[in-house]
Amino acid sequence: MITAGIDIGSITAKAALIEDNRLLGTRLQFTGYNAQKAGKSVLEELIAQSGVQREQIALVVSTGYGRNSVDFADKAITEITCHGAGAHFIDPETRFVIDVGGQDSKVIKIDAAGKVLDFAMNDKCAAGTGRFLEVMARAMEADLDDFGEISARADNPASISSICTVFAESEVISLISKGETRENMIAGIHESVASRISAMARRVGVTDPVMMTGGVARNPGVVRALEKKLGVEIRVSAHAQLNGAIGAALLAARMQQAV
Amino acid sequence: MAENEKKHDPEKEKRKIQAVSRMKEIMTDYYIEAKGAREKGRKVAWITSGGPVEPLIAMDVIPVYPENHGAMIGASKMGAQLCEQAEEMGYSRDLCSYARADIGDAVAKTGPIGGLPEPDMLVCCNNICGTVLKWYETAARFFNVPLFILDTPFIHREFTDSARKYVLAQIYEYISFLETHCGRKMDYERMEEVGRLSVEATQLWQSVLDTCAHKPAPMTAFDAFFHLALIVTLRGTQVTVDYYRQLLDELNDRIDRGIAMVPNEKYRLLWDNLPVWYRTRWLSDKFAGHDAALVADTYTSAWSGMLPEMNGQSFLEAMSETYTKVYINISIDRMFDIVAGMIQKYDVDGMVMHSNRSCKPYSLGQYDLRQMIMDRLGVPTLIIEADMVDERNFSESQIDTRIDAFMETLKS
Amino acid sequence: MNPLDRFKSVWNDPNDYARKRKQQTGRKILGYFCSYAPEELIHAAGLWPFRLLGTKGEIRMADTHLQSYCCSLVRGGLEAALNGSLDFLDGAVFPHTCDSIQRLSDIWRLNAGFAHHFDAVLPVRLDTPSARQYMIDVLNEFRQELADAFGTEISDDAVWQAIGDYNRIREKLSTLYELRSRAPGLFDPSTVHRIMTAAMVMERREFSEQITAFLEGVEPDAAGRSDTGRKRVVLSGGICTHPDIYELLARAGADVVWDDLCTGARYFEGRIAEDGTDPLAALADRYMERTVCPAKHQDITVRGRALVDMVRHQQAGGVIFLLLKFCDPHAFDYPYLKKFLDEAGIPSLLLEIEEQPPPEGQLMTRFETFVDMLA
Repeated sequence: MITAGIDIGSITAKAALIEDNRLLGTRLQFTGYNAQKAGKSVLEELIAQSGVQREQIALVVSTGYGRNSVDFADKAITEITCHGAGAHFIDPETRFVIDVGGQDSKVIKIDAAGKVLDFAMNDKCAAGTGRFLEVMARAMEADLDDFGEISARADNPASISSICTVFAESEVISLISKGETRENMIAGIHESVASRISAMARRVGVTDPVMMTGGVARNPGVVRALEKKLGVEIRVSAHAQLNGAIGAALLAARMQQAV
Repeated sequence: MAENEKKHDPEKEKRKIQAVSRMKEIMTDYYIEAKGAREKGRKVAWITSGGPVEPLIAMDVIPVYPENHGAMIGASKMGAQLCEQAEEMGYSRDLCSYARADIGDAVAKTGPIGGLPEPDMLVCCNNICGTVLKWYETAARFFNVPLFILDTPFIHREFTDSARKYVLAQIYEYISFLETHCGRKMDYERMEEVGRLSVEATQLWQSVLDTCAHKPAPMTAFDAFFHLALIVTLRGTQVTVDYYRQLLDELNDRIDRGIAMVPNEKYRLLWDNLPVWYRTRWLSDKFAGHDAALVADTYTSAWSGMLPEMNGQSFLEAMSETYTKVYINISIDRMFDIVAGMIQKYDVDGMVMHSNRSCKPYSLGQYDLRQMIMDRLGVPTLIIEADMVDERNFSESQIDTRIDAFMETLKS
Repeated sequence: MNPLDRFKSVWNDPNDYARKRKQQTGRKILGYFCSYAPEELIHAAGLWPFRLLGTKGEIRMADTHLQSYCCSLVRGGLEAALNGSLDFLDGAVFPHTCDSIQRLSDIWRLNAGFAHHFDAVLPVRLDTPSARQYMIDVLNEFRQELADAFGTEISDDAVWQAIGDYNRIREKLSTLYELRSRAPGLFDPSTVHRIMTAAMVMERREFSEQITAFLEGVEPDAAGRSDTGRKRVVLSGGICTHPDIYELLARAGADVVWDDLCTGARYFEGRIAEDGTDPLAALADRYMERTVCPAKHQDITVRGRALVDMVRHQQAGGVIFLLLKFCDPHAFDYPYLKKFLDEAGIPSLLLEIEEQPPPEGQLMTRFETFVDMLA
């Protein structure tokens, strides 16, 4: 039996196919302004690339902020529940998931079966999200993709103390004018993101092992800073951005079996 | 705590207040004594900064001030880190940073003195805010120790007879609370003696602040923030009386010798609200750079405002009124009267208000107070947005620009 | 208009209702912000107590007087006073709630320009005989001030009468809550919320008639509507002014079956004894005995125990905390309340609310996940 999961995020749309508890294929593309269209096209492309027929797909579960826009999905499930299931599939030892995406960050505590025990999400403030990193990259006229590598060379991370993204941006600008190195500034920015997320994680209570997912998990600078703050090793999901979609496909399979 | 050291500049050396070292000695001894209380079989009580400490001194209980500790954490720039600790425990980051930092340190014990000595009892007076009530309830659950609350009704218009009766009844409830938890009776003669020393220290503190009415001022509010610690923590003791006498002599001597704290004092400013503890030096230099001296403030003078009108009453009777009428337990219009008096007394050119995210009873109402000061007294007033301990709420570039712009208008 | 439509229209625009009704009845209106405002005395004076719940509109004028770190209830309340939307008020009473409302009283008195202003500075501690005596004294002073201000007399008999009226209203509200708890499907998800708002703002005689008629019209468990198949949750916090929360929760699969909100169950909790000799002592005793608002002091674990008991008694699966951003008393209690729930194995969800609730998408994500978590 084949099931599909579709995760419509604020920036990217992801899809995954699962057959008999095995990952059949995944796809990622930009969401654009039309979430409904993105959901449809990401699944069509994935079907084409994996060589399965649409009729073979027994059930589709959508997730992510645009989950209710996917009108052909059989059910919409929140990305928190899906991330729990996805992380459990990728690494069954996982008991805690940190998911940092473009506009949301979440921490999720799961049990041995991947079921959510507790969770927390950022408030509407952008600190501690991918958006914060984007704003800072713009202030520094740097490429976000290079952030992780550059920060690894920092000798003394700058202190970015402001919580507010707007204040933090002006802090970065004043550090630039004081001649602080790029390495230290970027490392400081990573620590700032990490401290917001670690506070949220501790409120829920971190349980080892920890997996990180979401687009920001691809930034090793943030991962390192988080490991330091939380004092635990973080396993970055091999499918960091696809975790939600994989979880959705798995939950679809589970639903189908239950019927 | 001011940061008076660093670099040897003979001009600066001359302006340093000598009593500072004595003050540090006293505070060090005091914390060592408090930390060793348990071994010596003495009781420790945590008490709020506006709370009646005199009965504790009379009962030989060591008073410990979480707020003073909060200030120390701020001055040591450990505020953000300890506040985060409390936030991880579920305390909102919008809560008072003294409370957050102290709650964080009670668990982490990584603050400047490695954690406050644990309390045997808690004494909370809500004359400064409702926050202390919640904070002390938290502490009472955490340490599992008895809590006494002195409820001092807010004065919107007048101190009513029913409020007086209520507070006085509580003063006696407070004493029986202490008697129960110390296992002995209050010595009322000793109590009156402690009261006498407290009044004397308070008068001396007022005289210390009054020296700044002199032009140029022999010290500034930044010094007052530092020297305040004793009148908060140990009023009612001989050592405090002696210390303020020494400080007063030194300040009078500075006046005689023409030593000013700000070398070319041209502008005299009045500060409102708690200090920005982690930036006192930066702010002090910033204003001095504009030849401006903060000659007075509403914060440190709140303790001299606690001078009781004895009118033949016993100290305990006088106390109920004194503790209820403190500066931030009164309405905005009553605050204005006090500020107007200070503006006149210290001949002030402008006012600087710290809008302090941590302190709602002090900060909410500042916009109206500012308007009253500008409209009725014509005194220019600047508001800066910050926080007393949590440096994450301080934007240097923003405040820098605001102060420069304000000083430009004063100069023009 | 049937009672439910009446409640809904009042909820929709309480100010418009007050303006029109005032014209019809000529009754003077006194605004208040807190469940410790002695409404019975206001009612006994022939006035009509009107609960102020902030503003649904944008906050602009209040920003001249209040910093951004002040809660939206206080900022919104001041906004409404300054922008003229409360022009029907004859004044307001401030019973000293918290640091913010205490300052709001000053700012209101200095700027809002209503004919009357009262401060009834009630005690903060509610656990000693001296506090009880002081509360009685303050209530007496307020009674006198009210009488002087409006040129009436407020006799003991009038206060007893008002106490009786209020007891009846509170009993009805309690019945309403019991009905919903037993059969959540009897009402639309936000109906009880709307009725509670109406209870606090409507002219009380009219409300009393309407709620009586409404309850008589309820057919208990008609066609098995009681079972919605949804999970049961309890709300905890201060005020809630967002009916959407109930609708969204229902969509996510949960019914609110009880709460400890001051605009909810705490409003009707506690009956006033009618057989005493001093009516003000009777009023004081309800305040002394009712579960406290976190801005007041009583036993330091009473709120935690009461919350756990409520969840068990209501057979609810979890608790949703609605914390108004910048509300210090509630924010201070949250960690310990959560700990009590954790220890009792009761899941909870924290929601910080401002003048607007979080964006619907984010809210649904949280609600759906939380409902999935519930047993």
